[in-house]
Amino acid sequence: MTMRPRGLAAAVTLLSAATTAYEILVVRLLAVEQFHHFASMVIGVALLGSGMSGTLAALLPPANSLGAAARVRWAAAITAAALVASPWATHAVRVEPTQLAWDGAQWARLAALVVALALPFATGALATLTAFTVEPERAGRLYGASFAGGALGVALAIATLFALPPGQALAVPPLLGALGALWLCHTGALGLMGAGSLAAAVLFITPLWSLQLTPYKSLPQIRALPGAQLVAEETSPLGWVTALQAPSFRFAPGLSLEYRGGFPAQTALLVDGDVAGVATDLRSADAAELAEALPTALPWALGPWRRVLLIGVGSGLELKAALGHGAERVVTLELNPELLRLSRKLGPPDTVEAQRIEDRAGDARGELSQPGQPFDLITLTPAVGYGASIAGVRALDEDFLHTVDAYELYLRRLAPGGVLSVTNWLSVPPRESVRTILTAAEALRRVTGSASHGLLVARSWGTVTVLARPAGYTPGELARLRAFARQRSLDLDWPLEVSGDTEPFHAIDDPALREAAAAAVTSPREAARFAGASAFDVAPVDDARPYPHHFVRPGSMLAFLRSARGTWLPFAEWGPIAITATFVQAVLVSLLLLLAPAAIWARRTTTTVSLPVLIGFFAALGFAYVAAELAAIQQLGLLLGHPVYAVAGALTVLLACSGAGSAWSDRIAPSLGPRACASLALLLSLAAAMLLGGVHALQAAALPVRALAAFGCLAVPAFLMGLPFPLGLRSLAQGRGEVAWAWAANGFASVIGAPCGALIGLEAGSRVLFLAAGAAYALAGVLHWSALRGHGDWALKRNDARVPP
Amino acid sequence: MVEQQIVARGVRDEATLQAMRTVPRHEFVAETLATAAYRDHSLPIGLGQAISQPYIVAYETELIQPRKGLKVLEVGTGSGYQAAVLAAAGCTVYTIEIFGELAGSARRRLERLDYRGVSVRHGDGNFGWPEQAPFDAILVTAAATYVPPSLVEQLKPGGRMVIPVGSMYGAQNLLQVDKDSAGKVRTRILLPVAFVPMLNGLH
Repeated sequence: MTMRPRGLAAAVTLLSAATTAYEILVVRLLAVEQFHHFASMVIGVALLGSGMSGTLAALLPPANSLGAAARVRWAAAITAAALVASPWATHAVRVEPTQLAWDGAQWARLAALVVALALPFATGALATLTAFTVEPERAGRLYGASFAGGALGVALAIATLFALPPGQALAVPPLLGALGALWLCHTGALGLMGAGSLAAAVLFITPLWSLQLTPYKSLPQIRALPGAQLVAEETSPLGWVTALQAPSFRFAPGLSLEYRGGFPAQTALLVDGDVAGVATDLRSADAAELAEALPTALPWALGPWRRVLLIGVGSGLELKAALGHGAERVVTLELNPELLRLSRKLGPPDTVEAQRIEDRAGDARGELSQPGQPFDLITLTPAVGYGASIAGVRALDEDFLHTVDAYELYLRRLAPGGVLSVTNWLSVPPRESVRTILTAAEALRRVTGSASHGLLVARSWGTVTVLARPAGYTPGELARLRAFARQRSLDLDWPLEVSGDTEPFHAIDDPALREAAAAAVTSPREAARFAGASAFDVAPVDDARPYPHHFVRPGSMLAFLRSARGTWLPFAEWGPIAITATFVQAVLVSLLLLLAPAAIWARRTTTTVSLPVLIGFFAALGFAYVAAELAAIQQLGLLLGHPVYAVAGALTVLLACSGAGSAWSDRIAPSLGPRACASLALLLSLAAAMLLGGVHALQAAALPVRALAAFGCLAVPAFLMGLPFPLGLRSLAQGRGEVAWAWAANGFASVIGAPCGALIGLEAGSRVLFLAAGAAYALAGVLHWSALRGHGDWALKRNDARVPP
Repeated sequence: MVEQQIVARGVRDEATLQAMRTVPRHEFVAETLATAAYRDHSLPIGLGQAISQPYIVAYETELIQPRKGLKVLEVGTGSGYQAAVLAAAGCTVYTIEIFGELAGSARRRLERLDYRGVSVRHGDGNFGWPEQAPFDAILVTAAATYVPPSLVEQLKPGGRMVIPVGSMYGAQNLLQVDKDSAGKVRTRILLPVAFVPMLNGLH
């Protein structure tokens, strides 16, 4: 049986779509069941699988065209089956990431999880790779089909998430995989396997398959409350939104200890299993009283305010306070439309008050960049309930609402005399609130030239509220703030003239808040000195490094681990720990599964190109692609207003345009490869220097314009990024041993590039990540050029003596 | 355990140390974990709940200055170990557990070990124990997301409450809540801790 070329390309497209859709849906699954920081692990795992396929291809004995075609069919059928089995296997393994630090068994489980996740990627890529050997003259087109399938997979995964919750959406990848397998072969055992996978895909939308959330998430805990019931469930790519009611659910961050009133009915609103907002029955008389007893009411001591902006749905009590104090217009800006809709439906205001409410679903940074009327008060509440930042589960979250650039934008949108109010949970030692103080002061300095008058810091038993007011405060206003604070048992830490020497309501031994404020208002140098001397990284972050919930310095982690067992636990940040664990594991596993077999294989075969050049070239390409992808995703998150859209948009454009580039590469001479690399090095360096400025300039534009701009920025580099790999394969890796080396080196660098790139982005920002990607392309270009020119021939043909018998 | 883990970290109150020396911690964990009972960490007791690290038990006990006749409300009985330590120090203990199964087993265990002066109730600790209020001290041994007003209300003037507040994810702040003779309430943030969450309602 021979395969029609058209059939092969279509099957490669379907299989690639299946595995890429699986990659996106597994990221969503792990974000819901565990936490978001598994995203880079999954990307690493997918790349590991892809690299393993190269090793597998190299280890299998050579096959002629017919044998290779049979191998493609087998790989396709196994991929379809693996896409069914892999999610079940991840549930069977049950990793508890919080125990990784001291439970060796968890490492074994993590390794099992990696293998379970990597299998479909390995077999899917094996099918593609073997397809190259079936039709080597059409490598570019097949590589292009693989990229196009990837783009299709992204689009399908995103579309599915609008219709199905993340658990059920997992039916799509095996469906696509089975179609790919059946396209190649619908008879015999393989046909049966394909048909079986097609049928088994349906299992994911039956009750047999259900999500298994970590007990550390809010959802299982609230669900355990007596009388708890799920009252709403919505799904979209922005998140899986659930609403849970329980008679005893309460949410009142920093509630005054003097409060003796009742609690209105409250509904927990969860995104991906964690509290992201609370719907409070605003018609209840208790709601007005409770709203007044919270620290978020503090700015009303300076009121009345006419126009108020609330960023995020919060608990609804901030809205109640604004309405209660007579605001004429209260605008709520919430990114997730389902969350906003449910918060109003389940926490309805009374009909008269509702006329003063304006709800807008959208990205606050984008919306506020549009021209519009100024606000008298802009309020940010703790974005996530129960202090997730304190517990370190948000360290990797890109958050453009708490950068200096964001605070500057808020201050510029204030009417004369207006105030910005930011409330955070208080950690011990203080970290997030210290950063808020330093960030607010820096933003005040950018807007007014001085931070000495506008800063005010108030503290409850569990929260810190920072007010930033460009106009500063009159003595009368300070007296009002002080009286307001005293009524609610709030301590004013700053300014000194109101903090006074009275005994505090809430004693805290660590003076960091007051010291931070004192340093912040003195001078930028003093603020930097204070931040530099802190045990935690509390310096303000900007849009190039949007990780305001990341505080642990890389060097401090070792100090924490050396301290007495468990005492560092409250300071741990699970994201960076997960990435570091992934990095360590990626290096070990990929050395074992990628480089070692390739090395063994290389002893048995010939290469016509210097091995260091070959490995260096393909490894540089692997790292460069992943690094550029991660940097683009980070900055497009700001442009497009949401990381999920950024991931989907960036992946689709990258895959589609790289695919087109690969397909086109068949028509050009391999000698153009170094030029493509040089162009990429230049473009990525330009992106490092200019992209963020461009993103800021474009923020005022409508979303379609921003999306088009994102496409325009990415399309050309993405097209070029598709060229070097196939051109390199054609010119440097003509034998099977070389292909195996190329694939293994590229896979290895991609696998370690994912966590490594994420760490560079986290610690140094997207500009440095773009530069790193550019440098890697420059290196690849030099290596390719030297190999083509024969400069790398010091080791050429050195393996001639090792021709196998 | 007491000298190396507790005295070495600064717990000095003699009544607390004496109580920690006398209560057999291994009786409060499953037999399979008995050998680990005196180690410096918390241990699981089922239903996702845990017996706290010995140092934290001692630290919290010292904070309320235990003495004969001190009337203490404990929220979160768990295995009953903290209640036993308080009883051994002479306190009269009222302890509430939200999981019926744990409340029953703790009650039987405390009776078997002859800890008198401990009353165990299966109930929702958020509302305290109004029939027995006010209390000289309240010890909350599960993390809450706010300071329940009922508990503040049930604290005697001059009394002290110790409660972990904040995150459900395994990191909270241990808070000392003092009510002065005039009924004014002040707090002190003591240290970051990791408690199992305080659940509302009955189980």
